[in-house]
Amino acid sequence: MLVLTRKEDESIMIGNEIEVKVLDLKDNQVKLGIIAPRHIAVHRREVYEAIQAENAQAAAAASAAASHLSSISNLIPR
Amino acid sequence: MQFETTRFGAIETDPESVITFTQPIIGFQTLRRFVLLPGPASGDGEDSRVRWLQSTESPEAAFLLMDPRSVYPGYTVELRPEEMVELGAAVVSDLEVYTLLVVPQDHTQVRTNLKAPIVINLRQRLAKQAILDRQDYPIQFFLLQESPSSGEPREAAPPEEARR
Repeated sequence: MLVLTRKEDESIMIGNEIEVKVLDLKDNQVKLGIIAPRHIAVHRREVYEAIQAENAQAAAAASAAASHLSSISNLIPR
Repeated sequence: MQFETTRFGAIETDPESVITFTQPIIGFQTLRRFVLLPGPASGDGEDSRVRWLQSTESPEAAFLLMDPRSVYPGYTVELRPEEMVELGAAVVSDLEVYTLLVVPQDHTQVRTNLKAPIVINLRQRLAKQAILDRQDYPIQFFLLQESPSSGEPREAAPPEEARR
């Protein structure tokens, strides 16, 4: 892992197009500004991980009993 | 073409009906091709309100999809222009929007992921799992909660700062 030390208002470039800037430092939190092309998706890691975990749960549905699954349909209004 | 599935056995399908994911379902990076199949029949003899999204590449990989608008009226999907191009879509109405169902044995825990819907351009046979910039769409939306405004667990994350 590359480790860089930055102060407030300093930034790093990732390639030619992505800039990550330290906007604010206080209360043990760092506020980052990210300038990136719109096709680059930027998400908090915990959101991404929560979606991954929920997707794994969704895939597990496939192994549930057919009788159980048929009752699920009734939970969904038309 | 023919492919094997754990749940349905061997399936014969028109290659034209295969949907290709431009971005994988998160956590299922190796799976890009799926077909839509009718969901499990409902107990009341009506048509199923869910559909299967079955991988053609992995027999056991299948997901249940539902229409999020049936449980969350006013649910809307906004994609970035690049995502629309990626899916070959001119307008959002070109896209079918589904959300993934999670079905534990306990019915009170049945839920769907409103934060990361599966969007499909049926005409182009292209799809992706989008991640919406919406703090009010939970990853776990419990179907048995009373209404979208009731107090089920939501993501506690602070509002997403505007880009640029």
